[in-house]
Amino acid sequence: MSDATIAKPARFRPATEESPATRWALIAVSFAGLAILVLAPLIAVFVEALADGIAASLKSLTSPDARGAIRLTLTIAAISVPLNAIFGIAAAWFITKFDFRGKAFLITLIDLPFSVSPVVAGLCIVLMFGANSAIGGWLVAQGYPIVFAMPGIILATMFVTFPFVARELIPVMIEQGRAEEEAALTLGASGWRTFRTVTLPNIRWALLYGVLLCNARAMGEFGAVAVVSGKIRGQTATMPITIEMLYQEYLSVAAFSLAGVLALLALVTLLLKTALEIRHADQLAATHRH
Amino acid sequence: MHIEIDEISKQFGTTAALHPVSLAVPSGALVALLGPSGSGKTTLLRILGGLEFPTSGRVLFDGQDATGLSVQERRAGFVFQSYALFRHMTVFDNIAYGLNARPRATRPTRAEIARRVTKLLELIQLPDIGARYPSQLSGGQRQRVALARALAIEPRMLLLDEPFGALDAKVRKELRQGLRDIHDTTGLTTVFVTHDQEEAMELADLVVVMSMGRIEQIGKPQDIRARPATPFVREFITA
Amino acid sequence: MGRPLIHRSPMPGLGLSLGITLTMLSLVVLLPIGALLLKGANYGLAGIWETVNRERVWAALFLSFRLSLLAALFNLVFGVVLAWVLVRYRFPGRRILDAVVDLPFALPTAVAGIALTALYAPNGLFGQLAAGIGWKIAYTQWGIFIALVFVGLPFVTRTVQPVVEEIEREVEEASATLGASRLHTIRHVILPMLTPAALTGFALALARAVGEYGSVIFIAGNIPLVTEIAPLLIVIQLEEFNYDAAAAIGIAMLLISFAMLLVINLIQVWSRRRIGYV
Repeated sequence: MSDATIAKPARFRPATEESPATRWALIAVSFAGLAILVLAPLIAVFVEALADGIAASLKSLTSPDARGAIRLTLTIAAISVPLNAIFGIAAAWFITKFDFRGKAFLITLIDLPFSVSPVVAGLCIVLMFGANSAIGGWLVAQGYPIVFAMPGIILATMFVTFPFVARELIPVMIEQGRAEEEAALTLGASGWRTFRTVTLPNIRWALLYGVLLCNARAMGEFGAVAVVSGKIRGQTATMPITIEMLYQEYLSVAAFSLAGVLALLALVTLLLKTALEIRHADQLAATHRH
Repeated sequence: MHIEIDEISKQFGTTAALHPVSLAVPSGALVALLGPSGSGKTTLLRILGGLEFPTSGRVLFDGQDATGLSVQERRAGFVFQSYALFRHMTVFDNIAYGLNARPRATRPTRAEIARRVTKLLELIQLPDIGARYPSQLSGGQRQRVALARALAIEPRMLLLDEPFGALDAKVRKELRQGLRDIHDTTGLTTVFVTHDQEEAMELADLVVVMSMGRIEQIGKPQDIRARPATPFVREFITA
Repeated sequence: MGRPLIHRSPMPGLGLSLGITLTMLSLVVLLPIGALLLKGANYGLAGIWETVNRERVWAALFLSFRLSLLAALFNLVFGVVLAWVLVRYRFPGRRILDAVVDLPFALPTAVAGIALTALYAPNGLFGQLAAGIGWKIAYTQWGIFIALVFVGLPFVTRTVQPVVEEIEREVEEASATLGASRLHTIRHVILPMLTPAALTGFALALARAVGEYGSVIFIAGNIPLVTEIAPLLIVIQLEEFNYDAAAAIGIAMLLISFAMLLVINLIQVWSRRRIGYV
C-alpha cells in the first residue's frame, strides 16, 4: 500500500454545521439585533439620566417625591413577594405531593395571570374592591379603602406576579418525586420537619430564582398599578408611576434617574439569574424548559 | 463496491482514536468491525460514511480516492445506532426523504418515488406501515425502517452502527437474518459495527477485530476462532 | 368516575397547602376576574356589544391585534435565529448575549417605554437617523411596533432554545448521508422539529403584546383611531369613571387572551400527538 498520506485540508466541515460565512452572518445579526432592540434602550436610560451630570441626577433622586416612591415600591415588594412565595410553595406542594382530579385545570388557573393584560388585571381589582362595588363600598365605610390605596396596589402587584414562584417550583418538585419525603416520614420526622430539612434544601435555588423574577416584576409593574393607584404623589405613586408623572411634566433628568435605579435593579436581577443558571443549572426548572 | 482504507488515522485533540489502520473490503462482502467501546470502530465507520474526516490517510472507493468527498457525495447508506428517524415524518416520508432531497433534475417522479418506497417496505416485510409515525413503531420495526431509508438512495455501500444494539435478544436474532437476507439480495458491500463477538462471527464474511485504535486481526470468523492472532483477540472472542 | 377527588396520601400538609392555594388563588385572581365577568353579565351582551361596536374601540382593538401580530412575527424569525446561534455556536460574548435576551423581561415596562421614546423621538439618536430619510418612528404605528417587538423578544428564543438543545446530531447526520444539502436539512428536518415550540413562543409573544401597556403609551402618541391601543381605552374609560364601558372592553380583551391560551394548548397537544417520544 502507498505510504503517501495527505494532510487533510481545512475545508472539511462536519455534516451538522453551517458554512463559516453563514455562521458569522447569523452571529452578526444576533449581536446587531439585540444591540439595537435591547441594549440601546438600556443605555439610553443612563445617558438621559446623566444628561445634566451625575450631581443633578442624584439630587433628583433625593427629592421627597422620589424618596417616597422608592419607599413605597420597596414596601410593596416586601409584602407582595413573600406572600407570593408562600403561595408558590403551598401550591407546588399541593400539586406535586398529592394526586387529585383537576390538577391540570388548577395549573392553568395559576398560569392565568400571565395571559391577562395588566390593565385588565387592574380593572378586575377596581371592579372587585372599588368604592362602587359591594365589598369595596363596605370596606371604605369601615375606613379601609383598597383601591387608590396601598392594599389595591399590593393586590394588583400580586395578580401580575402570581405564577412566578409556583411555575418555577412545580417542575423541579415533580422531577424530584416524593421518595425523599417518604423516607423522612418513615424515619419519624414530622411533616414540618420533613419540609424544612428535606424539601426546602432541594428546592432552595429554584425558589430563589422564582423570587428573583417575581421581585423584578413586582418593583417594575406599571399597567396594573397605574389603574388601581390613583397616582397620589407621596402616597400611592410607586416608582414606575412616579417615572410617568415626572416624564409627563418634562422633568426628563428626574424621570430617567428614577428609571435608572430600576434599570440597575433589572441588571442586578439578570446578573444573579445568570449566576444561578450557571452554578445550579441542575436544580432549576428554567434551564430545562421555559 | 471495493473499499480500501489506506493508513487512516484520527486524532481528537490530543487523543488518538485511530492509529494508522489499513483495511481492504472486497466488493459485496459483509464485514463486521468488532471491538469494545473506545476501540475506534465507530470512528472508522463514520470516516467511511464521510461523517468524520481522517487526520491522515486515504479512503478509496473502487480504486478512486474518496477522502475528499462530502457526506452527500459518498452515497453511503448509513444506519445509526439510534436509527435517527425523522419523527415528524411518516414512515413513507422517511424512506422517500433521500429521493425527495435530490435536485430537481435527478429527482424521480412522485409516482416513481411511491413505487420504490412500496418496494422497500415489502423488502423489509412491513408493507402496511407507510402511514405511521416512528413513535408508533416497535424498536425492531424502527430498525428496519432505518434500513429501508438508507437503501432508498441506491447506496454504493451500506454502513451500520451497532444495528442491533438497542433491541432485545429475541428481536436481535430475527433481524440478524433479515440483514443477511437484504445483503444477499442487494449484493451491497456492507460494513457494520458491533461489540458482540457472537453477532460478528455469526453474520459476517469477514471480521475485523479492533482495540484501542488499532486493528488486531482481520479474518474469516472460523479462522479468528481457530487462530487468534493476539492475546487480546483470544480473550475478547472467548469472553 | 369512581375515583376520589383527592387520593389518600401519607404526605403531610394537605389541609394547609390546599387552604393557602385556594384562598390566595381566589382572593388575588379568581374573584377579581369573576367581578369583571359579573359586571359584564349585569351590563348584558347588548350593552357590551354597543360599547365595543364603536369605531374608536374597533380601531383600537384592530390596531393592538394587527401590530402585535406583526411584532410577534418579527420575533418568531429573530427568536429562532437567536436560539440557534446561542445553542449551536461558540463565540466570545455568547453568555452575555444569552443574558441580554432576558432584559425585556427584567426591565420595567415604563422604563422601556420612556427609553424607547427617547431613542426614537425626532430628536433622539435613532429618530434623527430615521428622520434623515423621512421616516417618522415615535408617535406613529412604527413606534408601537418597536415597543411590542421589545416586550415580546425573549418568548420565542426561550421556548425554542431547549428544543434546539435536544435535537440529536444523528438525525441531522442521517439527513446528510441521504444526500440532503445543509439547507435542505434545515428546511425539512430542523425547522419542522422547532415549529411547535416556535409557535408556542409566538403565541406567548402575541398574547403579551396585545395586552401591553407601559412600554407602548409613551411612544405611541395615543391619537384616537390612529395610534390608540386597546388597553389605553380601558384606562381612559376608568379615568372617566365609566366602569361599564371599561368592563366591556376588558371582557373583549379577556376573551382574546383566553382564545390565545386555548390555541397555545392546542398546539402543544397537537405536537405531542404527532411527534410523540421516540
